[in-house]
Amino acid sequence: MISDTILNVVDLHKKYGDSIALDGVSFRVRKGETKVIIGPNGSGKTTLLKCLNLLVKPDKGRIWLGNIEITDPRININKIRRKIGFVFQDFNLFHHLTVLNNVMIGLVKVRKLKKHQAYKKAVDALSTVGLDNTLYHKYPAQLSGGQKQRVAIARALAMDPVIMLYDEPTSSLDPQFVNEVLQVIRKLAKNGVTSIIVTHQIDFALEIADEIIVMHKGRIIESGRPTELLSNPQNILTKKILIRNFRTLR
Amino acid sequence: MNYISLIEYLPYIFEGLLWSLALVLGGLGIGFTIGLPIGTMITYSDKYTKFILNVYIWIFRSTPLIVLLFLFYWGVFPNIGLKLSPLITSIIVLGLRSGAYQSEIFRGALESIDEGQILAAYSLGMSKIQAIISITIPQALRISIPSLSNEYAILLKDSAICFTIGVLEVLTRARIVSIATGIALIPYLIAGIILMMMTYIGLKFFHTVYKKTVIPGLIEGI
Ligand SMILES: Nc1ncnc2c1ncn2[C@@H]1O[C@H](COP(=O)(O)OP(=O)(O)OP(=O)(O)O)[C@@H](O)[C@H]1O
Ligand SMILES: [Mg+2]
Repeated sequence: MISDTILNVVDLHKKYGDSIALDGVSFRVRKGETKVIIGPNGSGKTTLLKCLNLLVKPDKGRIWLGNIEITDPRININKIRRKIGFVFQDFNLFHHLTVLNNVMIGLVKVRKLKKHQAYKKAVDALSTVGLDNTLYHKYPAQLSGGQKQRVAIARALAMDPVIMLYDEPTSSLDPQFVNEVLQVIRKLAKNGVTSIIVTHQIDFALEIADEIIVMHKGRIIESGRPTELLSNPQNILTKKILIRNFRTLR
Repeated sequence: MNYISLIEYLPYIFEGLLWSLALVLGGLGIGFTIGLPIGTMITYSDKYTKFILNVYIWIFRSTPLIVLLFLFYWGVFPNIGLKLSPLITSIIVLGLRSGAYQSEIFRGALESIDEGQILAAYSLGMSKIQAIISITIPQALRISIPSLSNEYAILLKDSAICFTIGVLEVLTRARIVSIATGIALIPYLIAGIILMMMTYIGLKFFHTVYKKTVIPGLIEGI
């Protein structure tokens, strides 16, 4: 294995009943890399991401995080998940907790930090995502979509993850809030946070990705640097996805 | 008719208040202690555990209270060598029965919490038990308050049935006083007023807790 590989995915398969969601997916992520996954609806992007922290159990295939095989059945998955930041499309904040407690709860309950240590880390993470401190004691239902997603990112970030996974982080947002969230993801990626981002925002994908993975029907049909894909797409579908979105850009 | 002796009997009726309170609060407390874990297990466990717990719920919900009281007072407890007073027996039976109803209340509340929050808890590295205790139960408890307040009012009415095994709660005493004094209506009226007050105070209490625990900004789905 290449020494700076942080995530190694080998031949993942997943079926829901008879429908095939993943059909042999393999790829590697290097430390500090930003991977973007694109593909049409139902191509298996969410399933792939959820397999990476075993929220969905793959039927077949192996995943290494660093040099630990997380698909090893003897592994304590809770210990692994705390190192993998996951950002959901629908935020999934804890409704009954304030912004601060949403970010602190993992630190206190999972990492067993003392309250004041957890508080300090939570405040750090919240300022990283640029959340105004007047919002710290608000509840999720009192926030805008953009603020919610930034809290969700802070909640994941506070755990000091080795990798961040984003599943369509801006798809549930009203258009005016999309940029503030992309801005945060961009900043983290620039600062060397290893990231896998599933998105339909092709312009953002092209801008931020070290490598883009194109999925279709549970397979990776093409992958490469944004410039490569743009100038010389091998697959007709890649071309379609990229061009259609460029049109909507203009 | 002897109105003077009625006045003498007033403290006796009021003492029944303590017995009624013991029945209702005891029943509610035992019911909660049983209902929350069972409701939680039914929501999150495998189908075999679910089946067994549902049998318990079914038995206690479908059997009339009076039958349960007789069964436990003359059947179950004596047979296992327990000599329990009518009051203690009644509290336990009310508790077991309320537990069945409360399981259903908590199950419904837990099921109404979106799965996304549990996934988010897992993604932070929480175990299933941690996620249930820190994330879903606190929210379910709050959602349950209106139903619990309803359960309190029902228990209060049901507690009167415990007179059948000789518990001296408010209504039983009213009946005794009515016979002793020959006054038909007034003792029952007094008992009625006492029970109404208990209902009012209890419901007020639940309402206050509900208001105090409101989650800012959240629009209740139910
Ligand atoms: N829990 C599930 N049960 C059954 N089928 C599922 C489930 N989740 C996903 N699928 C199916 O698996 C396939 C892949 O779904 P997935 O959600 O991974 O795609 P996606 O690329 O994330 O799509 P989208 O862009 O719409 O989010 C689809 O055919 C979908 O219908
Ligand atoms: Mg998806």
